[in-house]
Amino acid sequence: MIMSRREALLLPVSPWFIALSLLMSLLLSMLLGLSQALWLPDILAVSIFFWGIHQPRRVGMATAFILGLWMDVQHSALLGQHALSYVVLSYFAFSMHRRLLWFPIKEQMLQILPFFILAEVIGLLIRLSTGDDFPGWAMLLSPFIETMLWPVANFILLAPQRRASDPDANRPI
Amino acid sequence: MALESLDRSPPPFFRVGFAPLTKLIFFSALSLLLVFGDKQLQFTKPLRAGLSTLILPMQWLVLQPGEALSAMGTYFQNLEQAQTNLKAAELKVLQQSVRSQQVEQLQIENQNLRQLMGLQSSMAVTSQTAEVLFDVPDPYNQRIVIDRGQLKNVALGSPVIDAGGVVGQVTRVYPLTSEVTLLTDKDQSIPVLNSRTGARNITSGDVLAGQPMIELKFVPASADVKEGDLLTTSGIDGVYPAGLKVARISHIERRVDISFARIHASPLAELKGRHVLVLQPSAASALNKGKAP
Repeated sequence: MIMSRREALLLPVSPWFIALSLLMSLLLSMLLGLSQALWLPDILAVSIFFWGIHQPRRVGMATAFILGLWMDVQHSALLGQHALSYVVLSYFAFSMHRRLLWFPIKEQMLQILPFFILAEVIGLLIRLSTGDDFPGWAMLLSPFIETMLWPVANFILLAPQRRASDPDANRPI
Repeated sequence: MALESLDRSPPPFFRVGFAPLTKLIFFSALSLLLVFGDKQLQFTKPLRAGLSTLILPMQWLVLQPGEALSAMGTYFQNLEQAQTNLKAAELKVLQQSVRSQQVEQLQIENQNLRQLMGLQSSMAVTSQTAEVLFDVPDPYNQRIVIDRGQLKNVALGSPVIDAGGVVGQVTRVYPLTSEVTLLTDKDQSIPVLNSRTGARNITSGDVLAGQPMIELKFVPASADVKEGDLLTTSGIDGVYPAGLKVARISHIERRVDISFARIHASPLAELKGRHVLVLQPSAASALNKGKAP
């Protein structure tokens, strides 16, 4: 794993934590979906992109595809709609995972915003091409909120790896 | 530093798997195939039914916080309001009892008249109550999920009503739940009868000024339609039993340059209620009747 210069040396990730975090974001996405507000962020997309950047060998396009199908069934959307946007998201995460972490977090956010917009537009295009109406401009807000969640994801999802391997009272980390 | 603190396994050097672009193309093609199959060919039905049963426990889990909140809300609702509600309900039952007692007599009378005239007798509709679980999160269409499915003999296409009137139609049936498309959905049509003039029309869902409404299609600009007209199901489609309330006409726009009037009606059903009634499609119950000895 390639680490940013500014980031402290991280502990190895636990596969169980990855699975747990994906499950929790799935549940959170399902919960947010119940309110039907268009601007709400897709937490699962953020998680998939995050692990695609940090652990590209563990969370890839196959995981993204399966989780996307799950979201499609939960949303009663067309089967494959979320799957396609998550797969594309995961591909771009893989293609930039060596580069992105060398930037400070604000510049990272600037670079990932287009991909969240792209994922949203893919879903929209699929629905428009199958004869649905445009649901409203509020949906374009959600990629921005997803980008805002990037530092939060960085904080929460890397927290277990920031612990010291053998805690010591005299050492800060 | 202990050795466990470092990510020790290097990336595999020779066994790298498929190229990312290959994977992208494969999964994208698979997704698009599923989209096409879901929209046009319907071959994804078993997959969707299986997956939906699989995610049911998680859906149940996700619904719990809301349920708990509403349960708490009901608990703290004060006694006075409960009593007012009870009084209102009793009054409503009293008002309806006159009519419901007349119904028995009218039904017998109707049956006799129909027999005299040699018409096919209208049949009783079988129904079951269902609880609304949640609104479908997809922003592109308007559907709700109810807690009755294939195992409780919910048939595809069953009409769904609530205390106010027609809610919609069952459009997907899973083993334990089913999906109801609301009558305000763009793709949902109901044949209706204008109860004042007797004119028959077809509705479809439409959004007017942000409000989900239904629109009367193909009504000539010169037709006799007034605001406040009551629309009921006409019953000629073989799905909806005749005479269910659907909507009341609220906006009429006649323009010179098009030969049809733009007519909008607001649905009478609550649409956000907690319980609904799932009816057996009337053609299906007629078939069952025909089969019985």
